[in-house]
Amino acid sequence: MAIEGLTVIGESINDSVPSTKKLFDAGDIEGILELARLQDNGGAAYIDVNVGARPAEFMADMVRKVQQVTAKPLSIDTPDPEIAKAGLEAYDPDRAGGADPILNSISALRLEMFDLLSIRRFKPILLVSEQVIDGKSGACHTAEETYRAALVLAERARQGGLANGDLIIDPGIAPIGTDSEGNLARLIGAMELIHNDANLAGVHMSVGLSNFTVMLPAKTASGAPLKSSLESAFLTKAMPLGLDMVIGSVRRKYEILEADQPAVQCLEDCIQQGGFESIMRVRDFYS
Amino acid sequence: MSDPAQLYDAILTGNAKQAEEVTNAALAAGVNPTELLGNYMIPAMDEVGKRFECNEYFVPELLIAARAMKTALQILTPKLAEAGTEAAGRVVIGTVQGDLHDIGKNLVASMLEGGGFEVVDLGVDVPASRFVEAAQEKNGTIVALSALLTTTMTQMKAVIEALEAAGLRGATKVMVGGAPITQQYADEIGADGYSDNASAAVALARNLVK
Repeated sequence: MAIEGLTVIGESINDSVPSTKKLFDAGDIEGILELARLQDNGGAAYIDVNVGARPAEFMADMVRKVQQVTAKPLSIDTPDPEIAKAGLEAYDPDRAGGADPILNSISALRLEMFDLLSIRRFKPILLVSEQVIDGKSGACHTAEETYRAALVLAERARQGGLANGDLIIDPGIAPIGTDSEGNLARLIGAMELIHNDANLAGVHMSVGLSNFTVMLPAKTASGAPLKSSLESAFLTKAMPLGLDMVIGSVRRKYEILEADQPAVQCLEDCIQQGGFESIMRVRDFYS
Repeated sequence: MSDPAQLYDAILTGNAKQAEEVTNAALAAGVNPTELLGNYMIPAMDEVGKRFECNEYFVPELLIAARAMKTALQILTPKLAEAGTEAAGRVVIGTVQGDLHDIGKNLVASMLEGGGFEVVDLGVDVPASRFVEAAQEKNGTIVALSALLTTTMTQMKAVIEALEAAGLRGATKVMVGGAPITQQYADEIGADGYSDNASAAVALARNLVK
């Protein structure tokens, strides 16, 4: 799974993953800790921890327990400031060689989460696919809107004492199998703008890569793996634009593909065509 | 002339252009619009749902088929109104306040339309009061709520309470869905139904209007 220059945040400990939710629901903490070990051994640089809507104290407990089985730093994953606070308070940097945790994530809709920097230093994932303009919130529909949302959040993070190198900008990736509104072109365009802005030099960029291929079959009609090829095509396109992190799976075989690979051509067609043509192009790719 | 049965295949394979042509030709040939809907179009979407349930179709096929269905429906709707054919039901759908996710909500809306429902899409970040207003417009409305965040799913309860406060709860069914939602959560907040995918949401809505 290793691609040089790509940091993987292991995604498995997440309440929205059905098999993990079962472990949580059954109180199978050893099963959860096994996921941490597997991801650690599999090459994850961070271990994401998302406990869903469970109490804040449960997050604190999970952070302590996961840190007992891995020396990798954690990614505290919740939109809820109380749960985030509990996770950050429980986090012990000494167990991770002094490394700061990631906080996944802050968006314009929850700026108050920057106040959590008073608890400890963390690397925020800045979700810049949503914006608030004149008090009205909405999704970013263009590359320029996404880029402006990145500028706003990066500025706010710097006011909180963070440097560009602490920031992980997530421009938001949508499932390619439902993308009839040019989201992929928006994402690629936003990454170019962020990458080319000298004021944002040194920031990291990340996406939730598995989200790109949800709702698609595991294999093409000819039996070839579908998800890893499309995700690899995305990495092939996005890494030269500054993508250097993903929330993803250590089991997936990510690789940089040649330009003439069918998955790369499918991705390029989807960026160019947009609209329903993109969805049909994806369907034709796996049918 | 083209055979109206081709409409079934056009929707099943998601061929919007063919769906449009066959619909126009069938209407020009005097085929009853209600029969066109009931004998070919709804059965085609039902078959799409079945293929989805058994992993033969995936979400792209659902969307492509729903678009072909929609293309034919747009031509047919005025004729159906003239013929006095009513929709399968009316659904007011939206993502709850504070939540901007729309992919799942849009998918469910498309499939409900394809299933013959009148769908009023209120969009994302919808306050409880908007759901109440839209439900008030017609008795027997289904309110379909989507949430993708653990911090916003609680808004679903707020919508149900607002419907109760407005005296609409008896005449309004509420269905819920979204990544953090479970049947257990739906039961806890007093929703009438939960679905974990867009195809099953159509079957659920049909049950709720029975």
